[in-house]
Amino acid sequence: MKRSFKDDFNMMSMLLIPIGVAVNIVGFQIANVLRLPIFLDTIGTILIGVVAGPWVALLAGLITNLINGIFNPTYFPYAITSVAIGLGVGYLSKTGMFKNIPKTIISGIVITFIAVIVSAPITVLVFGGATGGTGAILTATFLASGQKIWSAVFASSFIFEIADKVVSALIVYFIVRKMSDRYLSKMNYGTLYMKREGR
Amino acid sequence: MQKNRIQQLHPMTKFFFALLVSAAVLIIPGFIFSFLVFPILLVIATAAGIVKEFFGTVMKALLFLLIIIFFMQLLFYPGDHVMGQWGIFKWTEEGLNYGLTLTSRILAMGSAFILFFRLTEVRDFVKSLEDAGLPPMGAYVVLSTLQIIPEMRRHANTIMDAQKTRGVETEGSMLTRAKAFIPTLTPLILSSISSTEERAITLESRAFSAPTKKTSLHKLTKSTADRILPFVYIIILIGLVLWRILR
Repeated sequence: MKRSFKDDFNMMSMLLIPIGVAVNIVGFQIANVLRLPIFLDTIGTILIGVVAGPWVALLAGLITNLINGIFNPTYFPYAITSVAIGLGVGYLSKTGMFKNIPKTIISGIVITFIAVIVSAPITVLVFGGATGGTGAILTATFLASGQKIWSAVFASSFIFEIADKVVSALIVYFIVRKMSDRYLSKMNYGTLYMKREGR
Repeated sequence: MQKNRIQQLHPMTKFFFALLVSAAVLIIPGFIFSFLVFPILLVIATAAGIVKEFFGTVMKALLFLLIIIFFMQLLFYPGDHVMGQWGIFKWTEEGLNYGLTLTSRILAMGSAFILFFRLTEVRDFVKSLEDAGLPPMGAYVVLSTLQIIPEMRRHANTIMDAQKTRGVETEGSMLTRAKAFIPTLTPLILSSISSTEERAITLESRAFSAPTKKTSLHKLTKSTADRILPFVYIIILIGLVLWRILR
């Protein structure tokens, strides 16, 4: 399938962005209310990446962090991470990497690596290795046991991200399965995930 | 809402001020200036009549993070000049300096942007971006996102209550609570998505994607101060850079 950069931005996929951003933010709050140990704050970005492609997901990730940044500017630097996750998911989706559960788990692991590789330098260079919350305690524990700042941050963010991203990818997989063919057929990358093979 | 003179400034004037503060903090070495920025911003916030909200947001967003950052640098930043020891932890002069520099910069930049968003309505900021060349679709996406978030939050609570009535457990062990996540999120996403079609039809029926210039009911005006201040910023910035090079 060949399509140009501009084709990704049709009305339906642009209107999906507000939903995706709101899902990111509300998903995080539901996870908080249920006192889950993971963030689940990228479900919307991943969902958009799967059905609407890398460029729309890139925008969704960017807008999520800009809107979170209105109340807490420490989100601004991490916009790069959200953008990278959106792009990565879009390209994974293009190759059908969300078609079944094993593939989705592999995608989740790939997303984890993207998130860790992009966010760890931000954490070290901008925030001196600290993040608000429990991640910092883990990083400090690694540092106290004699590790260097880079390996400590990589290790602690990997531990925190892996469960989060794999679970998020699986949740997206189940949600996409529940979407109607009628809706998926309107999304640029949705046809890949329709239950009835399209003609 | 009655607005005072600072709040009435053009959004871009205020935005450039936040950028200027961030640049200044990075250009000027050491932490004394950077720590002075926060009191200055507090004075501006007082003059604009929003000091309480400003201070509250800064404390909520940054205080905890700054404390963690400071102690992490103090205890773990590599350095040779040991100043003190407590158990296995020892702190160094380099760590203290780096900790103060880093926290002062984050405090200054973070609070500059918090002040900007307390002084400016997002609607105005987006409109000014649109005037500067952001496509109308982009402006619509950002604004409708801000509208959808509280709507979705209410909707999520309703769904959660409904699922509780059906017997979905939201209390108990972690696995039980985790299991409640999907029955809440799935209906939320699927119902929100079905509303995008209606939105698309509504927008198209108003010729939203027609290739003509859009008119807007919401207009922003520039005062004399808005014309002068950007030049003042640029002069200050050039002055700072020259001072840093020539010193």
